[in-house]
Amino acid sequence: MAECGEISMMLGAFEDSELEPNEMQEVAYHLARCESCTGVLADYSTLGRDLRSITEVPSLAGFSSAVVARVERLPQPVLTRIERFVRRQLNSVGSGFAWSGAVVAAAIVTIILMTPYAHQFANRGTLPTIVASSDHNAALAPAPAQVADVATSEPTMADNDSHADISRLESEHSVAVWSEPRRDTTVIWLPDQP
Amino acid sequence: MRTPGRQDGDEAELIERSRKGDSEAFGVLVERYQRRVVGVALAVVHNQDDAIELAQETFVRAYENLTKFESRSSFSTWLYRIAANLAIDFWRREGRHVVLHGEDAETEIGKLPTTTGDSFKEVSRSELSARLKQALEELTPEHRAVILLREVEGMSYDEISEVLQCPRGTVMSRLHYARTHLRNILKDLGGN
Repeated sequence: MAECGEISMMLGAFEDSELEPNEMQEVAYHLARCESCTGVLADYSTLGRDLRSITEVPSLAGFSSAVVARVERLPQPVLTRIERFVRRQLNSVGSGFAWSGAVVAAAIVTIILMTPYAHQFANRGTLPTIVASSDHNAALAPAPAQVADVATSEPTMADNDSHADISRLESEHSVAVWSEPRRDTTVIWLPDQP
Repeated sequence: MRTPGRQDGDEAELIERSRKGDSEAFGVLVERYQRRVVGVALAVVHNQDDAIELAQETFVRAYENLTKFESRSSFSTWLYRIAANLAIDFWRREGRHVVLHGEDAETEIGKLPTTTGDSFKEVSRSELSARLKQALEELTPEHRAVILLREVEGMSYDEISEVLQCPRGTVMSRLHYARTHLRNILKDLGGN
């Protein structure tokens, strides 16, 4: 059986399972027969537990941000600085392009969607409305018969040329309303009052 | 603990980004290892404020020297080694102790009373804890580091050897010294 002095050097490593298998066996064999070394081993175990219990790990709140802040204040080598500057510029240019593209795309979609409404709104607001009667604006407004012709007849070259847009034709009350896009004019034709 | 000499893809990428000056990526590495780095520093200097300061300095040094880091050892071991070196240098600079090196330290073991004898089981827990803290202060930083890295941080002898840059046999003998020293102090306390 090995001497206690010899085994005591290995007791800690035995506790830590850091011995070679044959050494582990030798120490285990000794411990089975030696009360004193078994007591030392138990003390080592208690010591380990005590050390773990008294060690207070300090609070690490804000630790990493403090390190990063320090790191960012470090003077960088010239090459690194140039590289980082270029990368930042590329990143900002890249994001600038992305934003510009998004804005342009949104503008195009808006224009496409809003154009018909804009036309309607513009026409409503700006087209003059002329109330014509047969005697005052004969030159400007066609006669009801002519209006009826326009409404019913096949389009001709002359009709296309005039581009009259008849929106309402009320023959019963002899009122006709049409617009003249070429002249930016809406015409309301009323018959002469008796 | 990660296997020495190997980084997972995520860590390798974080290291590479940090090398290129990405402080955000480095922040992720800091978060990952801060507790253990503080633990290593604390094992040597045994003072929380100093340990925090040293741990910060460890990360700053690591960041500055990332280009020198080679993947022969693991990133974590490399960090812990920086922390241990800084902490031991700090301790020596502060001049709070007498440091025993190599054979001097080993001969101290021979001067210790025998390890066999009465157990300290009967001493009250609070008294033991208070005395243990004091006993730790009396150890050299090398001996304190070895025993705390083993018992508190749970490092293997090989890891301790790598972090403290000393042979495995030295780790074993320092551990034996530290344990015997602490046990004898506590045993004396139990005898009073």
